[in-house]
Formats: sequence, C-alpha cells, structure tokens
Amino acid sequence: MTNTALTATRLDKTYGEGTTEVHAVRAVDLEVRAGEVVLIMGPSGSGKTTLLSMLGAMLRPPSGQIVVDGHDIAAIPESRLPKLRAATFGFVFQDFNLLGALTALENVEFALNLGGVTGHDAHQRAEELLTGLGLGDRLTFRPEKLSGGEKQRVAIARALANQPPVILADEPTANLDSKIGHDIARLLRHIATEEKRAVVIVSHDTRLRDVADRILWLEDGAFRDLHTMATDPICGMSVDPQGALHLQVDGEVIYFCSTACRDEYATAGSPGRHGAQPMLSEEQHGER
Amino acid sequence: MVPIARRMLFTDRRRALLGVAGVAIALVMALTLDGIFAGTTRQVSRFIDTSPADVFVSQEGVRTIHMAISLVPGPVADEIRQLPGVVWAEPVLFSSDALRVAGARRPSYVIGYMPGGRGGPQILVEGRDPGPGEMVIDDSAATALDIAVGDEVEVLGATWTVSGLTTGMTSIVNTSVYVTFDDLATALASERTASYILIGTEGDPEAVAKSIEAAIPGVESQTRPRFSAEERSVVREMSTDLLSIMSFAALLVGLAVIGLVLYATVLSRLRDIGVMKALGLGRSGVTRLVLIQGLWTVTTAFILAVAATFGIGAVVAAIAPDIDVVVETASLLRAGAGSVLVAAIGVIMPLIKVWRVDPATVFRSPL
Repeated sequence: MTNTALTATRLDKTYGEGTTEVHAVRAVDLEVRAGEVVLIMGPSGSGKTTLLSMLGAMLRPPSGQIVVDGHDIAAIPESRLPKLRAATFGFVFQDFNLLGALTALENVEFALNLGGVTGHDAHQRAEELLTGLGLGDRLTFRPEKLSGGEKQRVAIARALANQPPVILADEPTANLDSKIGHDIARLLRHIATEEKRAVVIVSHDTRLRDVADRILWLEDGAFRDLHTMATDPICGMSVDPQGALHLQVDGEVIYFCSTACRDEYATAGSPGRHGAQPMLSEEQHGER
Repeated sequence: MVPIARRMLFTDRRRALLGVAGVAIALVMALTLDGIFAGTTRQVSRFIDTSPADVFVSQEGVRTIHMAISLVPGPVADEIRQLPGVVWAEPVLFSSDALRVAGARRPSYVIGYMPGGRGGPQILVEGRDPGPGEMVIDDSAATALDIAVGDEVEVLGATWTVSGLTTGMTSIVNTSVYVTFDDLATALASERTASYILIGTEGDPEAVAKSIEAAIPGVESQTRPRFSAEERSVVREMSTDLLSIMSFAALLVGLAVIGLVLYATVLSRLRDIGVMKALGLGRSGVTRLVLIQGLWTVTTAFILAVAATFGIGAVVAAIAPDIDVVVETASLLRAGAGSVLVAAIGVIMPLIKVWRVDPATVFRSPL
C-alpha cells in the first residue's frame, strides 16, 4: 500500500501556436506523499501557475497523467471536475479569495455545501474548523473586517473543510507580514504532519523552505536539480548557473537572478565587493 | 445551504435597490394601465350592471350597447309581457352625443326611459327624475363641467334643464345622462321603436331569455351577466392593441433593467465566481446562482409593484373619482408571468458570462 497522494506524469502544456508558441510546462513528473510539504519555486513565468492549475484540475493537460485519490483527473470528463475539485483539493490563494458577500463562517460552510455537507452539520464543522484556527470570535465577520492573517486562516479552514487529501497553496504568504507569514507556513506544515495531507506550495518566499520536506525548482516549464542551483545573494532566489548573470569576486563566482540584483551587488554591496567588475557569460554577451 | 445568490445580489444594496426599483416601475406601468383599463371596462357596463333588469332584449345580432345601434319595434315590449316568467318589460332608447355647457363638452350616452320606470338612474343624489325637457346628469360630470341642478345644458342639438344628479355613471371615457323616453324619441325621430327592452323575470332568467328568442323573431335576448360581459369584451377588443404595445414596452423596460443589473452584478463578482468554480461549483451551480438572482429581483419587484399599484389606485380614487383602478387577479397573473419571462430572458447574457469564467483565474492577481 502506497501513501502517495498525488502523482503527475509527463505533464505538458503549450500556449499559442507557431511563432507565439510558449511551452509553459514540459514533461513534468511529480509525486507527493501524504504528510509531505513540497515547495515549488522558480522565477516569474516559469510555469508554476500553469502547473498548479493542472494539478488542481482547473486546466486540462494536453498530455500526461495526474492521479489523485485513485482518479486520473486528466482523463475525467469536464463536467465531473468541479465535484472532484471540491472533494479532492483544498486551495489556498495569494489573495485569499474569500467570498466578500459571505461571513467567515459562511465561506467555510459554502465549501462544505459544495462537498455535499449541508445544514447543521456544515454549520458545526465550519465553526469547529474556524475555532480550531483561533477564529472563534470572528465567525460572523465579513472578509473586509478581517486582517490579512485572519483571512488566510479562514481560507485554510475552507481548504480543509472537505478533508481533501491534497492542499494546493499559491503564494500563501505573499500578502502577509513576516510574522504572520511564518505562522501560516507553520500551519501548513502542521496540516501536512498532523492530518497527513499532501501540501504543494508554489511560492517565491524563501521562508517557506523551513517547512518544506522537498524544494523543487521550476524554470522554463521543467524541474531543475536544486543541488546544482546557486543562490542570488541579493534577493535569495535560486539561480541556475547555466547562462546566469554572474560576478567573479576574489576568485569566487557569484550568480544573480537579474541585472538589477547584479548591479545592486556590484555598486552598493559590502566593502571589498564594491567596484567588482561584472563578467557576463558568453551566452548573454552574445545576446548583446 | 449558504444563500450565496441572495447574498451576492444584495451585498451591493444600492445596485440591488436600483434593479428592483427599475423592474418594479416597469411592472407598475403595466399593472396600473391594466387596472385603469379594467376599471374603465367596469364603468362602461355600469348601466347594465346596476340595472334591475334580469334580461335585455335587443335587435337580432346586436349584443352590446357600445359601438352598436339596436332598433326593436315598439310593440315587442307588449308581446314580451305576455310570455311566461316575464314580470315586467320596459323599453329604453339609447343614443350618444356630447354633454355641452359653456364651451365645455363631455362625451355622453343619452338614455331615454319611461318616467317612474326601471330604466332610469338607480340613485338620485340630488333633485328629481326628469320631466319633459329635463335631464338627470352624473354628479361627477356636473362637478367637472361646473353644472348645478337648474342649469341648462345642450345635448343632441336641444337645450335641457338639469332636474337631478345621479352618481357612478361617469368613466374616464364618457358619462351618461337620462331623459324621458318620449323626449329622446322625438329628438331621434324614432317614435315607434326602442333600442332595448329591459325585462324583470321570475324563475331562471336564462330560460326566460331563451323563450323570448323562441317566441319573438328578430330579437336577441341576453341575461344581465352575459350582456355585461359582451359589453366589456367589445371595449377590451378595441383597446387590445394599445394595451399590448404598452405591456410590451413595460416588458422591454423591465428586461433592460434586470439584464443590466444582473450583468453588472456578475461583472463585479467575476473573481468570486471564478473562486466558486475553483472550489467546485459546477455549471449547473452557477446557472442556479444567476437564475436565483433573477428570480429574487423580479419577485421583490413584483411584490413592490403590486403594493405600489394598490397605493396608486387609492390615490387616484381620492383625486380623480372618474378613474377607477381595478387590479384584477388575471392582471396580477399576467404581470407575474411577465416577470418570470423578463427574468428568464434577462439572465441569458449574465449566464453566458459566468459560464465562460475560467476557474484558473483564481491563481492570477486581481486587476
């Protein structure tokens, strides 16, 4: 018996045609076990959102397979996907995406309704979830009256409502301050460990590395081996040394995600680094 | 279940109120017009409805007073009196003209009846029955034309003295005046004919009506309810096109309002709809959501419109007694059906919009 919660095999997605064709996701394989937190990082435009949309049964991959809870969601008819989403996935979004017309309690109840739980049972479960996340005194508050951290906790309660095997979180800490972001990260870790759910997080936030069991680097639609990645000393982002901007300082090669980070390092860096001369890779030099 | 459709609709109270008010105004237009029309048709048949006659006899083929000329030979009344079940039979003459006084005029039925008989005014609020050269007019027309008992008025090219006032015989369309049978016969040069014979019966009026038609050739015999219904239907048929146009205009206004309101509601909540779809709300769910919003809008509007129409009716009755606003069950059913139709059509565009919302938009930052 396996404890694999989600398996994606050879996922592909291309946008546009001909000269405008963009390969958003290329032959991605991914396996996430129950109780595991997988953090997917990568630069903007690397295909993270496309991958998350496919994993969450919102975007159908033209090829490949996604198996969750024994179902190949890539092969399920479109009409059955909403019900499957309600039962199988919990979503946590960067912008919280709570329904503004509903109270905190009703936001969670609504998700339960979609999962087939209604009436008193839905009300009671929603109340338990929110109280469990420290929102017992915020049940009747509309989202506009909640702080960012409270909103995200309501969103997490909503994601947990139907006890889905997989939680998909898109930049869950992006709109939160440092302390609250850390709390949310720990909460996601707790959900994975204690409730044995698979948690897939897509984020730029390096703080989430602390709670992740695995970190995957997605770039140009494909996973790269993170062990071969360098870290930008300015923004902390992982950088594929192959073709990246870099500086050579005292014999050490330092890699950067962007010209801005490189220039900041070169012109306003610490003493000793000041005035270092950028050495462009041949590839980039050629582009110029 | 969380009442998501209603919550989304009424969260923006101002927009919801505007939408409901817009549809309600359109419905009030239709209901009030219908009410005025229903009131008018009732007023038109008031002579028949308030008459003590159980059966009305007219020329064969003539089934109404309005838009018809009926000539019945004078001796027919005597023949009818001999028939079983007939208690009394009285001829009346009918004509139409305008009641004129001091440059003002009012379209009018002129009714000639036997003095002291049953074809005259059923209520006298002032004065007495007309004698030769006299007439009784309606108090409402008298007020409007500033006429008092004893004043002189002009009808059918002759001058008459007002001897009394009756009531309830003026409508938005016309009024009725009463003169003696002989005076009207002289004015019409029709001394040996009547327009209608009013008949009092004992037993079943329907049976008496049939026996009259069987016994006397060349006449039409109808009970009061049937004669009244025929009278109202001829007026209704004459106004059907106008009513249809007005109702259609009201329907279009309601449609435009509800369509815009629901579309605006949907547009302002596209992200929420994307979220709901992402969370697992299917096509049938979003369809139900929009339909419920449409039904909420028209149901609230309908209730408001009915209340407003009754209110308008009361106000109109107080300031313009000639105009009777009657809200009939059939009119309410028509307005209700129209509301459902408006909702059904009004939700089409919003539905197309929400069906097209991509749930994956939840992963993109809001604009």
